[in-house]
Amino acid sequence: MKKSILLSALVLFLVFGIVGCGKAPVSEPKKVTLKVFMTFPRFQEQFEAYFEDFKAKELEEKNIDVTIELEMPNSDQAAQILKARLSSNDAPDLFTLHAIADIPSFYEAGYLSDLSSQPFVSDLLENVKDIVTYDGKVVALPMESLAWGYLYNKDIFAKYNLTAPDTIAEMLNVVKVLKENNETPFLLAFQESWIPQLMTALAIGGVVTNENPDFVEKMNSGTASYNDIDQIFDIIDIIMENGTEKPFEVGNAAASAAFAEGKAAMWVQGTWQAQAILDINPSLNIGCAPLPTSDSEDGALINLSVSTSLAVSPTSKNKDVAMDLLNYILDKEASTALFEELKFNPVAKFHDYEVFPWTDEAMSYVALNRGYRDLSLPQAVTAEQAALLQSYYAKTITKAQFIAKVDEVWKNSLGQ
Amino acid sequence: MKKNNKKLTLFILPALLFYSVFTLAPAIGGFWYSLTNWNGLNKNYDFIGLKNYAAILKDTDFINSITFTLKFVLIMVVLQNIISLALAIAIESRNRSKTLFRTLVFMPNMISMIIGGFMWMFIFTKALPYIAQQLNNAALMDISWIGDPFFSFIAIIIVSLWGGIGYLTIIYLAALQGVDRTLKEAASIDGANAWQVFRNVVIPSIMPAITIGVFVTLNNSFKVFDVVYSLTGGGPGRSTQVIAMNIFAEAYSLNNRYGYASAKSMVLFAIIFVITIVQLKLMRKKEIDG
Repeated sequence: MKKSILLSALVLFLVFGIVGCGKAPVSEPKKVTLKVFMTFPRFQEQFEAYFEDFKAKELEEKNIDVTIELEMPNSDQAAQILKARLSSNDAPDLFTLHAIADIPSFYEAGYLSDLSSQPFVSDLLENVKDIVTYDGKVVALPMESLAWGYLYNKDIFAKYNLTAPDTIAEMLNVVKVLKENNETPFLLAFQESWIPQLMTALAIGGVVTNENPDFVEKMNSGTASYNDIDQIFDIIDIIMENGTEKPFEVGNAAASAAFAEGKAAMWVQGTWQAQAILDINPSLNIGCAPLPTSDSEDGALINLSVSTSLAVSPTSKNKDVAMDLLNYILDKEASTALFEELKFNPVAKFHDYEVFPWTDEAMSYVALNRGYRDLSLPQAVTAEQAALLQSYYAKTITKAQFIAKVDEVWKNSLGQ
Repeated sequence: MKKNNKKLTLFILPALLFYSVFTLAPAIGGFWYSLTNWNGLNKNYDFIGLKNYAAILKDTDFINSITFTLKFVLIMVVLQNIISLALAIAIESRNRSKTLFRTLVFMPNMISMIIGGFMWMFIFTKALPYIAQQLNNAALMDISWIGDPFFSFIAIIIVSLWGGIGYLTIIYLAALQGVDRTLKEAASIDGANAWQVFRNVVIPSIMPAITIGVFVTLNNSFKVFDVVYSLTGGGPGRSTQVIAMNIFAEAYSLNNRYGYASAKSMVLFAIIFVITIVQLKLMRKKEIDG
């Protein structure tokens, strides 16, 4: 009898003891999965590391365990994949899009959330914020901002004591000096049609901003024609007549190699390509200058635009966490390191890292008010200009036919 | 009887399912989209009936691509069949190493035409100019195979022939082996020379193969895409833009007018359908049985 009482008392003690020793239960972290779609396959590692930091921060501050499913397709398929997902109601929580080209159509289709009240907005640089604003709302977070004109070989220019020309007359002089010294003035690479299209982009930008500011509105209401800006052909003709041979056989990679080897002094290509050129020839000194379009230096302007930007889907089931991730991209402490590592241009006021020399050069023009915001042409017009420039070079169409065709395509695109 | 049918249906069910889901359903979907103005992006689109088809009639670029493709098809059908037949006869007439030549001729067919296009791009832009330079032939060096509209056309023909001849040669080889030898001997005993034997005995015997050859070339040439995409991309400008390239650009890069592009695809389908029916009917008459 005594033994059994003693035994039961011992057992009870043990049981209570164990229960008493157990930890007080902690609340389980909430599990959230975010689907992120980005078109930076070359930066996959950097973003994965950055998101790890985000996950740690989110767990610590808000007790949310975030799983991020990162999708990074190649840029030539990305647009199609994204459009298919969006239109079949399978939208990723966050996705990248091209600010100038995609924002209008994506916004009209209802795929972008209004981000105007988010904390990062107040940190954005003014001209960058302007580009991701549509219909009065900020609809995307800018990541890749660009300031570009054409690239030139500083060594060749220095050799003949040349400076970047501001007017057509000065450009003709530069061309003359280069030819006298057996250098090819311009690198022509027309195999990939988007490269010649950069000529019209810059030329139209210069002419429109300087002399015909409401050209785009007038074209959109059908009351203008490319005849009003046929001045763009002045610089385009100069480029085409003083360039390398057989441009249709030269793609982007081959052209970068040629420019790196000093085969031409100037190349109408954006600063995004400069890093690739430097990889081929690290000792090259690359400069960036605005393309002259008239006989005044006001017609030579740097193009300011934003390409890849991050948006949040309005149908996201975890909007709060998605917004947290979005704001983390421009987190005051972590963002500078990320942008510097990715070699993106600064988009926020607190981004104060060192940039490339050509970016500095381009921004120096902008500081003198010689920059313009990338014009929003209908996508059909941009693509048509690319094909028409190829035909114009091959002399299968005339200037008049070019103008007529691009007017027609613009008119047709308005019916969309 | 019924039991047999059931078994047969079960056997073809997997293939039928695959075909329905991946070929039939998209085709019907394509027809539906051709009656709308969907741009591939919006969740909503409107049914606009035959407006797309009306717009096609005014689309000069599309009509130009049709005429260009017709030129391409005509030249391909003639050249590809003649060259394949000639190769088949040459290989057939050999006593040894038939298999070796068969393999060699067929090998280009096994390479994807995109890869083939890039290979030939190197030949046209780097190898040929180099050879011309060594031979000191300035005229040959000046040819811009990819840039000049005329020479780009020739380049596309060359690469398409290179890729397609193998398949037809095998078909013609098989057909030639099936020609009744006694008929040929009888004809030559009666005094017919080699050309007459060929024209009056061999060709009628291999008519089924010629039907197949013309049919395959017609079909594939109308739908040509890979070669043009990898070699010239439809350029320069639109000078080598075949129908498939035009539709591709319309749907994906140029306008994002998915509905309109679907309508154009229906037109392409209709053209191929009509031509194929006509051609099959004509050729069937000329075939001999047995």
